[in-house]
Parts: sequence; C-alpha cells; structure tokens
Amino acid sequence: MTALTLNHVNKTFGKGIAKVEALKDVNFSADQGEMTLILGPSGSGKSTFLTIAGSLQTPTDGEVLINGDDLRHLSAKKREQLRLNHLGFVLQSYNLVPYLTVKEQFKLVDKVKKSGNLSASQLDDLLKLLGIDQLVNKYPDQLSGGQNQRVAIARALYPNPEIILADEPTAALDSAHVEEVGKLFAQLAHTQNKAVVVVTHDLRLKDYADKIFNITDGVISQEK
Amino acid sequence: MFLALKEIKHEKLRYGLVISMVVLISYLIFILTSLAQGLGSQNTAAIDTWNIKQVVLNKDSDINMRQSFLTTQQVDQLHQGKNDAVIGQAAVVAKHSDLPQISATFIGIKPTQFIYKDMKVIKGHKPLTDRQLVVDSSFETKRYKLGQWIKLNSLNQKYQIVGFVKNAKINISPIAYGRLSAWKTISNLNPNLAANALVTRSKHYKVTDNNLKAYSVSTFINNLPGYTAQNMTFEFMIGFLMVISLIVIAIFLYIITNQKLPNYAVLRAQGVPAKTLVISTIMQSLILVVSGILIGALLTWLTSLVIPAAVPMTFNVPVLSAVAAGLVLTSIIGAILPVRTIMKIDPVKVIG
Repeated sequence: MTALTLNHVNKTFGKGIAKVEALKDVNFSADQGEMTLILGPSGSGKSTFLTIAGSLQTPTDGEVLINGDDLRHLSAKKREQLRLNHLGFVLQSYNLVPYLTVKEQFKLVDKVKKSGNLSASQLDDLLKLLGIDQLVNKYPDQLSGGQNQRVAIARALYPNPEIILADEPTAALDSAHVEEVGKLFAQLAHTQNKAVVVVTHDLRLKDYADKIFNITDGVISQEK
Repeated sequence: MFLALKEIKHEKLRYGLVISMVVLISYLIFILTSLAQGLGSQNTAAIDTWNIKQVVLNKDSDINMRQSFLTTQQVDQLHQGKNDAVIGQAAVVAKHSDLPQISATFIGIKPTQFIYKDMKVIKGHKPLTDRQLVVDSSFETKRYKLGQWIKLNSLNQKYQIVGFVKNAKINISPIAYGRLSAWKTISNLNPNLAANALVTRSKHYKVTDNNLKAYSVSTFINNLPGYTAQNMTFEFMIGFLMVISLIVIAIFLYIITNQKLPNYAVLRAQGVPAKTLVISTIMQSLILVVSGILIGALLTWLTSLVIPAAVPMTFNVPVLSAVAAGLVLTSIIGAILPVRTIMKIDPVKVIG
C-alpha cells in the first residue's frame, strides 16, 4: 500500500534573480513494507524534499498525499496531529531534548501521545537491538554521537509510526553502526510493514534499500 | 510541567541564578513595602485607634489640625455626643534631667469623651488631674518611667507620667495624652480658644458654623504634613521595582527561550503541539518566580525577627501577599512575551 505520494511537486524560493527552484516536478511514492533511499549531494534538494514529504512545509505547486490524505486540505493542527501519529522523524541533529535522560525522552512522547506507542517490552527489545539498553539513565551530553543517533532512531520509532522519514541518519556513525542502522531500517520496513524513506549521501546504505532514487538540482530519478 | 521541572532539575546553576534574582527583587520589594507600611502607620496609628470617620476643623486651617483653632463659642455650639470628642494638639519637647529629650505631640482630651474612655492603658492608669499624662510606649524604651515628673517645653510646670499606651503616634511623633485644660496652659493661647478640632465617629456630622468644616478622615490623613509625599515616594519606588522586575524576568525568559528554540523546533517537527511548549514555558516561569518569592518571604520573616524596634517596619501579611501576587502576575506577563516566538517556530530551519 502506498503510504506517501508526491505528484508534480515544485518548490521555489525567492523571486527574480534570487529565485531558486529547489524541487522540479517531483513524482515519488513510498510503499509500506519498503525501504526507499534518496541519494544526493549537499544542496541537491534532499532536505526540502523531506520537509515537504513530512508536512513541515508546503510545495509551491503539486500534491502530497500521506495515507491518501491530501495535505493541501489539512489545517495546521491536523498536519501537527498527522506528524505526531503517523510520521517518525530521524534528524541529523539527533532530535533529543538535552535535559531529559534516554528513558525520559520516551516519557515525553507518552505525555503528548497517550496511546498507540510501543509497549514497555517492545521498547526494551528495540533498545537492545540498537545496543542502547544500558544507557537509559544517561543524558544526551553523556553519550557519543553514534549513541545519540541510535537513541534518536528509537525515539522516532517509539510512537509506532507507519512512515519513517530519516535525514542523514548515519552522518555520525562508524561503519559498524551504519550497517546496524541500515539493517534496522530494512527490518522495520519488511517485518513491521513501515514505509521507510531515508535521504542521505551515504552510499553504504544502498545495500539495504528496496528502492533507490537520485536527486540532483531538485530533479528526482529512480535508480532501482 | 514535565519539561519545565526536568529542565530546572538538570540546569541547576542557570535556574538557580534566575531564582536568586527573583529572591533579591522580591526581598527588596517586601522590605520596602514593610517600611512604607511602618512609616505610614506611624503617621496614623493614633487616628486608627480612635476609629474616627470625620474631623471638624477651621475652614482656613488648610486641613491641618495645628493650624485650626476653635473658639469657646464654636465648641459650645458643636454637638458633642458619645461619638464626638474635642481635642487640642500642641508640639512639645518632653524633658527629664537624666534622660534624652523627646519631641512629642501633646493631645488634650476631655475625660467625658470617647478618646479618654476608650484609651487602652498598657501600664499605669488614665490621667486623673491636669498634671498627669499617659504617653506612648516609645517613651518607655527611652527609659522614661511611671511616676516620673517631666517638663514640657520651657514651662516651669511639671507633669507626671501615670500611664503608657501602645500605638499612640501621629505624624511619626509620639503622643502625650493629657487633659484639654492642660493643653490650654501648654499652648499659651488666647483664653477664647477652646480646641483645635472635633473628631467624630459619625459619617455625617453636621456643622452649622460657616467657619468650620467636616473633613473625611482620609482627607485629613492625606493632608498630614509629609504623609502623601512620603507614601507616593514609596509607591513609586515599589511600582518602578515591579516594572524593572517585569523587564528583567521577561529578558531572562526571552534569552532562555531563544536558546531552546532548536529543541522546540525539533519537538514541533515531531508533532508536539505549540500549546504544550507554551504551557511548559509559563509553568517554568511560575515555578521560578514562586520559588523566588517564597525564599524572599522567608528572608523577610527572618529580617522581621532581628530588625531593631526603632526601625519603623510593619510586616502586614495581606499587603505583602498582594505584593507577591503582583510579582507573580508580572512574571506571567514576562513569560507571555516569548510565547509569540514559540508559536512562530519554523521546524524547517532546524532540519533544512
């Protein structure tokens, strides 16, 4: 089932000589049960693509559908609820609250999303899988970059979203952990029927992807 | 509340400094308010104990009892019921050879009228003759004793202290109560003058003499020499401190909130409603300010235990509570200022 669709999406910033076309007639779809990789260099439009797909900004024209809902017809509040209930973001900047321990990062999710989150045993399994089950009482500044990134991944998966959008999730990881994260995303897609979309320039993740797109100067094309 | 408390717990030094600032501001405001209350009550303490509603003065007195003189004929024409009392006021210097001089106010009263009758003597008894006085308890702290004979001004005549009363002060000056007949001697006035004023517990005292006028007690108090100027000085100081504290708290919260914007942006991207972050910011400011005020109140209470009796401070709990409520209100206003910034957070700026 298609979870995320972008049809003829364009995004333009500025006017006149300052005009920049960040996305040009982008057509894209991500299905549940698949891991999709979007590869591109810096400045290619990857982050713009991700923020539009994640309902954080609106395209200049074109339509974005999440689980069949056209984002153009949703209010800001509805889009907020959609992000909370159906989307999981894994960001380059770790998305962790610095004054909460690892355990409390999940407690915060419980405070704003009262139901539908992973159970305690599912969370334990996830933390073990990511190798961070011994770090639950640590603050983000007590963790390494790689550990922070793995906690951020767990934090994004905890609300049990159908769609996972990851922005350079392996930027701070060594090769061993890149392999773990690649396997984890593929496993989540295949065993838990998630639609996983990863934007990255890390070619090491190609081995785990079901579909691969390349993005250059705002133009997207399918490689695999 | 969860985010607010966790952040305070984790950032102890930063929020400890903010609380310290609130402690100092609230302590200063509490002490100033107590001082204003203390000085204010020293101006009106005696008037408050009389529990009067109106004061009849000469129309040309500029609402000043010392400048108001009532003739015998005028006093005789005034209705003098159980709620009315004629009084004479004179500035005196009390002297005793072995003791420091005291600048005081002599208040002459009639033993048949309510001020004399309702007088609560804490030591000794009420004056029974023209030569006897009941004085404010501050005389006792300056080593004046019961039975002592003192001189008033440069008069040859001596007066005996026969009693002490509490809160007998007018215009910051301690009162020596005596007979109205003694006031005539002390004042050395024209024999035709019988009193300075008539004070009454009646709200609607009728004055028929065109040269006299009944003033409300609040008008009379506001015209006590220096009273309004002194009160306004304190009110302005407290008001400006409140405004300054509002600005300081708002600036602190604005800076702290701005530092948290990247985190808030990520939380907004994850679907955490702006309302949750706004409530967290306001709750955090309330926790900081209420903690600061409570510590400030504790310090004020400790100060009240050690402050010398000579310092005119009154720790009036309802007034201090109102001041504390004002500070809490200013903190809420201060916390609301960065709310717009939180509402306008653009998660894209953090991600992109």
